[in-house]
Amino acid sequence: MPAHTNSNARYLNTTEVDSALVRLAGAYPQLSRLVALPEPSVEGVTCHALEIGSTPDGGKDCVVLTGGVHAREWGSCEVLVLLAADLLEAYRRGTGLAYGGTRFDAAQVRALLDGLSVVVFPLVNPDGRHYSQTADPMWRKNRNRAHASGGPACVGVDINRNFDFLFDFTTAFAPNAGPRVSDDPCDYQTYQGPHPFSEPETRNVRWLLDTYAGTRWFVDVHSYSEDMLYIWGDDENQSADPDQNFRNPHYDGKRGLPHDTAYAEYIPESDADTALELAQEFCAGLHGVRGGTYTPMSGFHLYPTCGTSDDYAYSRHIVDGSKSKVLAFTIEWGKEDPNSDAASFHPPWAEMQRIVKDVDAGLVRFCLAALKT
Amino acid sequence: MPPDNSHDDKILRVRVTAKDADTLRALLRDERPDVGGRPRTHADGSVGIDAYVPARKAEALEQPGVTVKVVGDATATGKARQTEVGEGDRFADPSAVPRGLGDKVEE
Repeated sequence: MPAHTNSNARYLNTTEVDSALVRLAGAYPQLSRLVALPEPSVEGVTCHALEIGSTPDGGKDCVVLTGGVHAREWGSCEVLVLLAADLLEAYRRGTGLAYGGTRFDAAQVRALLDGLSVVVFPLVNPDGRHYSQTADPMWRKNRNRAHASGGPACVGVDINRNFDFLFDFTTAFAPNAGPRVSDDPCDYQTYQGPHPFSEPETRNVRWLLDTYAGTRWFVDVHSYSEDMLYIWGDDENQSADPDQNFRNPHYDGKRGLPHDTAYAEYIPESDADTALELAQEFCAGLHGVRGGTYTPMSGFHLYPTCGTSDDYAYSRHIVDGSKSKVLAFTIEWGKEDPNSDAASFHPPWAEMQRIVKDVDAGLVRFCLAALKT
Repeated sequence: MPPDNSHDDKILRVRVTAKDADTLRALLRDERPDVGGRPRTHADGSVGIDAYVPARKAEALEQPGVTVKVVGDATATGKARQTEVGEGDRFADPSAVPRGLGDKVEE
């Protein structure tokens, strides 16, 4: 039995996120496998993921969970590291898991790790997190200087705009849609990079999806707005007209406007229903902890986007029929409360621990529901 | 107008409230402020969202049909939170293993 450490006194720094995974892999060799991502970050940091499950992947259905894409959303890493720690300890001890009022019995914990491969990649963007935790707390992008030609704001790429989905947004979207993305290298927050997958951090996520070919679900953990988002993010969803899809140039210049009849992104009704159902399960699990209310909705209702991880993950099987279908989600943890400075990208750690319990309860319930689909 | 949030500036968290969704959408499209959360519609039809902007840009968001209320100094808040980040490596000892926050319930 490993010597567990009561180590949750502070946010994890970048080194600790990685060393936590290494220690979990060492403590639970029968239940977990440390995965070295193939590309170091821009500043040379080697990243790890942790695959957990009672047997190695071997064709089991897989859920890939990513966090730390946006540097300033610190708690996303803790959400995933501590979820892995909970599942591993509970499985080995043969216990249930309780997060406030949300409880899972030992049989559910066992079913989850017997039936699924859970791949957690808690820190996609280590350079950005380090910079946010030690210099500019509002930093969001990676720390790539290759595209910089001006001041300090001209450093970095928004990893969650660097995936290959409607990357040419000036062509794809309506002129007045205003998607949250920029092709200006000096945009402080949402520079998309010079081309899709220009960044090693983005390519590492793609590598996970390629490597775990049995991936059926993908969840990217972000902050904040208390939402559980599912695809799509470029426009409203519709299930009536397959021709209205992101690959059809006939609809260039028409995407991204709400409440219009010109365009809405196609998703088969069965996928839309399942995505909503799983998002609702996440929200129900979270609600049970302490009564929090997250909203399940498509990503477009946050704001129009392109180049995001979730839309890319789901689009893969449409672009390449040899790839598995991945229902994809984005969690936006954390309150939006203009009367509280605890409601921000960096809640006080005491509040962040409560949020971790909320989200981890939601994720366990999400995984259990996914197993049944 | 492109965003101009040089990280050398103090970033304010402001609450932007527009008279309706179309007004807010136009503001976000034209001024491109960094935002947190999502637009929230109020009972009177107005719509609000958090934005993070340099102090010198906050006033520029004020337009007909749009009010801007400073919520706080996001940079100062973030700097304060930096003191809540671990130092060194709490898992340096090979016997130190992370524990999650869920209760392990014996059955």
